[in-house]
Amino acid sequence: MVVRTVAALLLVLAGPCAAAPAIVLPVEGRTLANGLRVLVHPDRSAPVVASYVFFRVGSRNEQVPRTGKAHLFEHMMFNGGKRFGPGVFDDLIEGSGGSTNGYTTRDLTAYVNAFPREALETVLALEADRMGFLAITPANLEQERGIVMEERRLRIDNDVGGTMYEQLYLHAYARSPYRWNPVGFMADLALITLEDARRFFTTYYAPNNAVLVLAGDLDPGDAFRRVERAFGGIRRQPAPPPVSAEEPAQEGERRIVVRRRAELPALLAGWKTVRATDPDRPALDVLAQLLAGGESARLVRDLVREHELVTTVDADLRWGIDPELFTLYAQARPGRRLEDILGRLDAVLARYAAEPVPPAELAVAKRQLRAEFVKGLKTVSGKANQLGFFECVFGSYEALFGLLEQWEAVSGEDVRRVAATYLAPAQRTLVLLEPLPASSTTVQGSR
Amino acid sequence: MRGMPRPLRDRRGARWATAVVAVLAIGVLSQSPATAWSDDEVRLPPVTRQTLANGLRVVVAQTSELPLVEMTVMVGAGAAQDPPGQEGLATLTAATLTRGAGRLGAEALAEAIDALGGTLSAVGGTDATVVSAEFLAEDFVRGLELLRLVLREPRFEKDEVRRARDEQLAGLVAALEEPSAIAERCFAAFLYGDYPYGRPQDGRRESVERLGRRDVVRFWNAYYRPNNVILVLVGDVAPGEAVARISEAFGSWEPDPRAVPSRVGPPPPVAATRVLLVDMPEATQAQIRVGAPALGRNAPELLAAQVANTMLGGGFSSRLIEELRVKRSLTYGASSGFAARLTGGDFRLATFSKVPTAVETLELLRSTTEDFRTRPLDPKAVAKAKAYLRGQFPLRVETPDALAARLAEIEFFGLPENDLETFRGRVAAVTPAVASAAAARWIPPPDRQAIVVVGPASALRAPLEARYGPVRVVTPAACEQLALAALSGPQPAGSASVPPGR
Repeated sequence: MVVRTVAALLLVLAGPCAAAPAIVLPVEGRTLANGLRVLVHPDRSAPVVASYVFFRVGSRNEQVPRTGKAHLFEHMMFNGGKRFGPGVFDDLIEGSGGSTNGYTTRDLTAYVNAFPREALETVLALEADRMGFLAITPANLEQERGIVMEERRLRIDNDVGGTMYEQLYLHAYARSPYRWNPVGFMADLALITLEDARRFFTTYYAPNNAVLVLAGDLDPGDAFRRVERAFGGIRRQPAPPPVSAEEPAQEGERRIVVRRRAELPALLAGWKTVRATDPDRPALDVLAQLLAGGESARLVRDLVREHELVTTVDADLRWGIDPELFTLYAQARPGRRLEDILGRLDAVLARYAAEPVPPAELAVAKRQLRAEFVKGLKTVSGKANQLGFFECVFGSYEALFGLLEQWEAVSGEDVRRVAATYLAPAQRTLVLLEPLPASSTTVQGSR
Repeated sequence: MRGMPRPLRDRRGARWATAVVAVLAIGVLSQSPATAWSDDEVRLPPVTRQTLANGLRVVVAQTSELPLVEMTVMVGAGAAQDPPGQEGLATLTAATLTRGAGRLGAEALAEAIDALGGTLSAVGGTDATVVSAEFLAEDFVRGLELLRLVLREPRFEKDEVRRARDEQLAGLVAALEEPSAIAERCFAAFLYGDYPYGRPQDGRRESVERLGRRDVVRFWNAYYRPNNVILVLVGDVAPGEAVARISEAFGSWEPDPRAVPSRVGPPPPVAATRVLLVDMPEATQAQIRVGAPALGRNAPELLAAQVANTMLGGGFSSRLIEELRVKRSLTYGASSGFAARLTGGDFRLATFSKVPTAVETLELLRSTTEDFRTRPLDPKAVAKAKAYLRGQFPLRVETPDALAARLAEIEFFGLPENDLETFRGRVAAVTPAVASAAAARWIPPPDRQAIVVVGPASALRAPLEARYGPVRVVTPAACEQLALAALSGPQPAGSASVPPGR
């Protein structure tokens, strides 16, 4: 934190009539000859740097029966390349005072480090070595296969919420590769071969399929020179095959009942909506905020306060390359029935679909979104993550800085229209958790 | 931010368990504030400290990177001050604090906070209650007024107390379906027994059911007094203005010398290794916790112990990760940590594995730890751990809210004012010999550990008893009873509520 020599954030008044200032980070973007996209955001307020390497590959690039491949591969990326052997990656980064991690989503895979600026050269060398020359060995694959199976047990199989979300996506989508969870099916994890891993690496881990973001205490010119030196020699590859995610029309509601040992009933509803770049997305963001974005949001007020039906309620629209789900989650209080909760959900949604939201309520939601946006820029890691995410999912990091304007432009009628268009009862997929006291766990469904 | 997919699939399970420990340990890796670094050029903003005439301690630091203001208030009372039979009262008081204040009823207050795009929340801990407020800097004056209202003029309407209590009860039930949450609760109860850190902070179902408005008002009236409160402000507000506004808002708050609670002594050690098996018949993965009481936040040896802990299970290239995860793929995460608190603390190990390898994993966790504890630490590895702690330090004070939390800890635990400034230098001064001595002393040996395993008793009981003798078996819900009875050693097999053989 702190005594800042350079303002990391530029606050610029956007246009004559804008009430809220636009927020723009200074970012320089370049593309190397081999196709590697590089973004640099200088922030000299602390002597630290965050490096985020994004590969444009996630579970949407998989097929059954090889789900979980992108995530399993993420694990393999920490076990050595040509210049640095097994076990060196973590040692070198931590020994330089840095931390390192990675994550995989449906759309992308990210490798993240946060470290003292003196370690920049080391980190770039490590990242370039594994991007260009990962050691794909039977030992590496077998080790991570077992670990990922434990991860699946932790996040999905032994987690009530994890099970519900996996079921929702599996049944909401018929054809899109968003269907399966990025962790993959247990049976598929057992099938992935060394040859699969090798082909995956060649196809997707190419510089022309990656974005490197550096944020923190660095000079952009110097950073670009170092990046060029470290990554410039890695060879470009043919573009990966395109993904087809088009969904057939949904002919009516789908209900899935999950019966397993749990304490409280819960429901999770999902509607297929739009991709992140769709013009309707901002209105859906605002709708999610209106529904459950604070103590005074309508669903919170209705379900938690007025009718005392639920312990918690949440609304969310995820931003995806392909059309994502708008989700509502509610956990019943002891003794409450899911049907009653569903009745209230329907009533609240129906009102949004019937009449434009009042201006005062709309203004509160927009202000909350703005505050949330500012809070997302607190750390160099947070900023690097968002810049890379927008570059991969929205097509350009600059889309990040257009969010406030997009939200500001949403009208009450826009909200009404998207509620009516996308959140129709017949278009939803519903996962109902019915707790079992005894010891059997089943999933029943009909489509 | 909304829309960003949650990074669900961290490569590092280690993060998961580390986070659990860090939450419990206000200040495990604490470092505090001041003006300038001698060592590297991380600079912290100047800190203004002032005690008002009524005893309120005010700490202010200006940061201007983001147009935000963070206010962190520590009230020096928590679950440790819950009267017997009223467990959960400090938590309920905190939860009701923000449900109406001054002329604003619960809904009007929520609207006022939401209208500013701010947050204002209160959470009861064991030794303290923390009230956190975050507003855009342009809303500082209005945000401070809302904070003043909830601290000084909470309405505690009867119906709002009832609502908060019902939600707390529902939360107690909901927590019973999360294996890692169950492991944490059961471990605390099994390790500490009726010592305050063993009490479930949000109470037991039967104690919470009986709480009402009168209890909440009494608790608030007794402890929410300026001479028992620390208020830290970090954000884009000039220090002079911040102190002046805070004095205006809180200067007339009436102190009470009895508000500062007397504190208990340190927790008793674990006399002999004991095992608790929490039965979850359907689980396919077992959660494992091992530990014993150790250092409090003020202990001079804590820093050396943390250097050692980084090597064992604090960093990501740690010994535990190497042995359990990398070499054998037994788990996705393994970590260790010192949860250092006001009147004491503990050392704990955390991991999990599929049921068939759970006991093997537990044994390896213990033997790896014992091997680490009893051998002199490799100087090169010590140097690496120190580099890691020093390098990560700026990231631990990077945000206004993180800095506010560190500054509050300095006040609350009575640490030196320059605790943050000196952190890196103090880490650099830890020698391998000192780190080895701290590990040997504060990591518990195998015969003095509390062990908690959460998983199916039908598969785990026999192998556990074969190794450790009689194992106590309980349901997840029964853990809240453990804190009621002092624990002196292994209980007779089958003493609790689950019949054997399930």
